[in-house]
Amino acid sequence: MLDIRELSKRFGYGNGAVNALHEVSFSIAEGEFFTLLGPSGCGKTTLLRLIAGFTAPSGGALVLDGKDIAGMPPNRRPVNTVFQSYALFPHMTVGQNVAFALEAQGRRREEVVPAVNEMLELVQLMHLRDRKSSELSGGQQQRVALARALVAKPRILLLDEPLSALDMKLRKEMQIELKRLQRETGLTFIFVTHDQEEALTMSDRIAVMSGGRVQQIANPRELYDRPANHFVAGFIGESNFLTGHSNAGVVSVGPGTVTLAGVPDGPLTLMIRPEHVTLATSLPDALNLTAAVTQIVFFGTDTHVHLRLDDGTALVARVQNVLHGGRTFAEGETIGVALPAEALRITAKTEVQA
Amino acid sequence: MILSETSRRWVLATPAVVAIMLFSILPLGVVLAYSFLTPGDFGNVKWIFSTDGWFSVLFERDIFDDTLALSDAHLTILLRSIGLSLATTLLTLLFGLPTAWFIATRPATQRGFWLFLLTIPFWTNLLVRTIAVQEMIRSEGVFNKVLLALGIIEEPLQMMFTNFAVLLGMAYVFLPLMVLPVYAAIEKFDFRLAEASYDLYASRLYCLRRVILPLVRPGMIAGSILVFVPSLGAYVTPRIMGGGKSMMLGNLIEMQFGPGRNWPLGAALSITLTILVLVALVWYTRLTSGRTERNHG
Repeated sequence: MLDIRELSKRFGYGNGAVNALHEVSFSIAEGEFFTLLGPSGCGKTTLLRLIAGFTAPSGGALVLDGKDIAGMPPNRRPVNTVFQSYALFPHMTVGQNVAFALEAQGRRREEVVPAVNEMLELVQLMHLRDRKSSELSGGQQQRVALARALVAKPRILLLDEPLSALDMKLRKEMQIELKRLQRETGLTFIFVTHDQEEALTMSDRIAVMSGGRVQQIANPRELYDRPANHFVAGFIGESNFLTGHSNAGVVSVGPGTVTLAGVPDGPLTLMIRPEHVTLATSLPDALNLTAAVTQIVFFGTDTHVHLRLDDGTALVARVQNVLHGGRTFAEGETIGVALPAEALRITAKTEVQA
Repeated sequence: MILSETSRRWVLATPAVVAIMLFSILPLGVVLAYSFLTPGDFGNVKWIFSTDGWFSVLFERDIFDDTLALSDAHLTILLRSIGLSLATTLLTLLFGLPTAWFIATRPATQRGFWLFLLTIPFWTNLLVRTIAVQEMIRSEGVFNKVLLALGIIEEPLQMMFTNFAVLLGMAYVFLPLMVLPVYAAIEKFDFRLAEASYDLYASRLYCLRRVILPLVRPGMIAGSILVFVPSLGAYVTPRIMGGGKSMMLGNLIEMQFGPGRNWPLGAALSITLTILVLVALVWYTRLTSGRTERNHG
């Protein structure tokens, strides 16, 4: 439905030029909840502004329903945005804000009024229709911004970090609310965020971006389980990194060795999630090492055991707290650490400074 | 001396109260009192009560049959004053809005420079500035010379001593008073709102009408008042640019205290001018307070 083809954006000219986006290409399917995830300055907002039409690309094509819209002004694109600052019109009521898009399109009043009411029902703000938008709380403004952007039934709804201004509790509520709205309207959502948890819980697919490039596009599960590279592994969830060396399929890290399939020879970086680190045991088909317990942090459902390997590498293991028979650890204790082969991922062929 | 909280407040307020009494209430009272007295033979007033001064503001008594008739001369001047002031306000709005827009949309580091340029004329005496405008449009002035040299006209255009000359002079003199408040309003404008309106299918014109103008309006109203009020009471500019042909209220008042030797009429005209200004201010207050109330709840 939306094809992004080798889209790039440069700011400035000559030597001072900054490449905000490097020939990014991917497609978004109809009805998808697609998330652009990355740290600030990764190019996600630039990409969003290119799709909205606020800036023109330096190269590439933006094909919506088979038509290149890259040169089209924002007011002609069937794409609406929920802004990070909401950008509600302060001199208008909630109802007038929501009606804006339809009125700007020159729709008749008989069309506008029912459509606005329907939208306000959808975001549960009917009772605030005649209030000034500046009189509303953050969460309410957020809903108005959503209703305003949805009322004209755009092909794509763009959401630019819309939840970042809300407090924790409200953010959780709005995440569920957004998912509900997306299901009920069946619209394609492109959601921009730097919050990996938000991305994982809401999205159908996530594009992880860094340095103006897409690092990986996958569904949340895939992204967490099989990060394509070091950056993705470090950005999504918690990770342990180990440097090792491989020779004929045998990877050695310190005194331990493990056989992994399809590994080229040479130095490499391995990644393992804290919940896959097994303590006080050695396993077959695993990288078995010894480590000293440096710190124990209790988190309620689980406990984080901080470890240091003999070569000084820090490691964290997450141990689920069980009612009976749980092994307890003491700081300073030296224990065996097993890293199962199936949980190990190679995130870089050569050594990478974390 | 130990004073209670209330009396201490009064003591501290005394200078302000004295200043207001001395420089505002008292002179106004004197003017009001004079407007109800009889003109003296050589200026000044005789302390005899009379409402003739107020009658003469709008009416004149026929010297033959004593009937009252509307004073055409005064009415013309009054209407011209209001008309020219409104026209000045519109003209400064027309030129001030784009100027303010231009300055407000420069990079923040450059705005100071443009505002500085705008305020330079303020340092020059009003009389000098007005004479500079006269120099531009008088028969042998720059404007006519250029047009003559280009062969566009054969005889110099007579622009001085017309309503146009007064309008031009006042618009020039008062333009910064319009630009500054409008600039302040535009500078506060959040351009992300314009972006949001483009995103929601608004054309540039629709965005201007529905989003930008309503939010810049308070500045436009403030600027209009700042221009309209001094225009109504303008004296120097109409005197130089309009001469005896295009008089305004200020000149009429001056005449009563000078060659006209009719102080009560002059005083009544002054009060009339004050009332006109008050009406404009009340209108302004209602226009803006209604708006801010709806803006902020």
